[in-house]
Amino acid sequence: MAIKVSSTFLLRKLHQLTGIVPLGLFFFVHMFTNSKAMNGEVPFEKAVQEIHDIPFLLFLEIFGIFLPLTFHSVYGVIISTEARANVFTYNYGRNWFYFFQRATGIFLFFFIFFHILNFRFGLIPGLNMTPIAGNAGLSYNIVSAEFSIPWVMVFYIVGIGATAWHLAYGFWLFAVDWGIIIGENAQKYALYACTVLAFGLFAVGVNAAISFVRPCGLFPAALCEKSSAVKKADGPAKF
Amino acid sequence: MSTTAYHEKKRLTNPPATFKLKIQRREREISPAHWETFELQYRRNLNVISALMEVRMNPVTADGKRTTPPVWDMSCLEQVCGICTMVIDGKVRQSCSALIDDLLLESNSDTVMLQPMSKFPNVRDLKVDRSKMFDHLKQVNAWIELDGSYDLGPGPHLSNEVAQERYAYSRCMTCGCCLEACPQYSDDNYIGPQAIAQARLFNMHPTGKLNVDDRLNGLLGDDGITNCGNAQNCVQVCPMSIPLTRAIYETNRDVTVNALFGWLKK
Repeated sequence: MAIKVSSTFLLRKLHQLTGIVPLGLFFFVHMFTNSKAMNGEVPFEKAVQEIHDIPFLLFLEIFGIFLPLTFHSVYGVIISTEARANVFTYNYGRNWFYFFQRATGIFLFFFIFFHILNFRFGLIPGLNMTPIAGNAGLSYNIVSAEFSIPWVMVFYIVGIGATAWHLAYGFWLFAVDWGIIIGENAQKYALYACTVLAFGLFAVGVNAAISFVRPCGLFPAALCEKSSAVKKADGPAKF
Repeated sequence: MSTTAYHEKKRLTNPPATFKLKIQRREREISPAHWETFELQYRRNLNVISALMEVRMNPVTADGKRTTPPVWDMSCLEQVCGICTMVIDGKVRQSCSALIDDLLLESNSDTVMLQPMSKFPNVRDLKVDRSKMFDHLKQVNAWIELDGSYDLGPGPHLSNEVAQERYAYSRCMTCGCCLEACPQYSDDNYIGPQAIAQARLFNMHPTGKLNVDDRLNGLLGDDGITNCGNAQNCVQVCPMSIPLTRAIYETNRDVTVNALFGWLKK
């Protein structure tokens, strides 16, 4: 007898997959690029310009980010509405993680929507009206000006934390949902590894965010490379 | 993560003269639920069922109102039939093995609260209709095809490992604790750990393997195994300590190989 699968089955599997590839992969690249701000304005803006120069960029943006992100977030919210959370009655660790995955997901739905409007499109009146897309030379200053506002910085740190946890626990969920990790012990150690990954990503992300208001982020400035490159976009060098 | 281990039953050293039984009542399936409290004489070794029997003998509430005797299901009285499952002090468990001493000690109060399971149709008082669970067993072909027109010979051999794991799954008594505690299960939108474990039980059997596809088909519908949210409450509340999550994840692997990547074999 042949196996027939339902649309729910395919949508769930697609939802689990899009969370890892491309969205999870994108987050790693995103944090890597952000961390270039540790070395100052010039290397960061060079990195942004390099992203602008990627061939088929619009195609990648639509099929690599926009569509998977829209699907993952909208379907994720639908899944979350099916939950009948009972963390206080059944007060177990994995039950809390189940709850956090949905709570962070719903928070991120709004956070990422804000983040994209804010930086990609520059459509948040009173905060930022200059899109970074097409303005690589202004990117550092746009972010740095915003991150000097305390509530924006706090909001972004919470957003980075939620993303780091959602992604790291998402790796664990993917591994168990696809039958890769089965046993109790294997699940326990995989969860330890994912927790380490979550805190690692959070630390890298926060450090990169701080780099926009303080050279070298959370590290002593001496540890960062003094960039020898000179910014050219604003006209001739000043020396 | 381990399931509830055996523990010494605790006893009240200084028991109260009386205690209260707060019961969620319902006349019939369509009528609204209401609460009634009964005051009972404490005596040693009372469990929830013997306390309910006391109420049934003299159904007068704590404020002196005569009412109908409460209705509940019971049969084996030794936690192997699963029919007396209810929500006791907020948590799902069998009422036969729930001792009043333990409950009073745990809640540190003089009241034991009884509710019917919330995820099944409430027939009356503490009685629910669990027939959905039996429909789920049909949906996943939770049996082995044995009938034939000729002698099929002796059954196949099983390795000790497989036999042990299958024995664990075979202990399921269809009580409903896993579905009650599952945050994903409501309105019958998910087939649930019980049916997945039974599908696994028969998928692991050498003869049952011949119908793996039938069972997987039963698990791949809109209410299928992908609705699992990995909260893993099921394995925590299972009174028979069945490794329900292992059943789910082993079946996940079957599903990935046979359903998701099955087309690569064509």
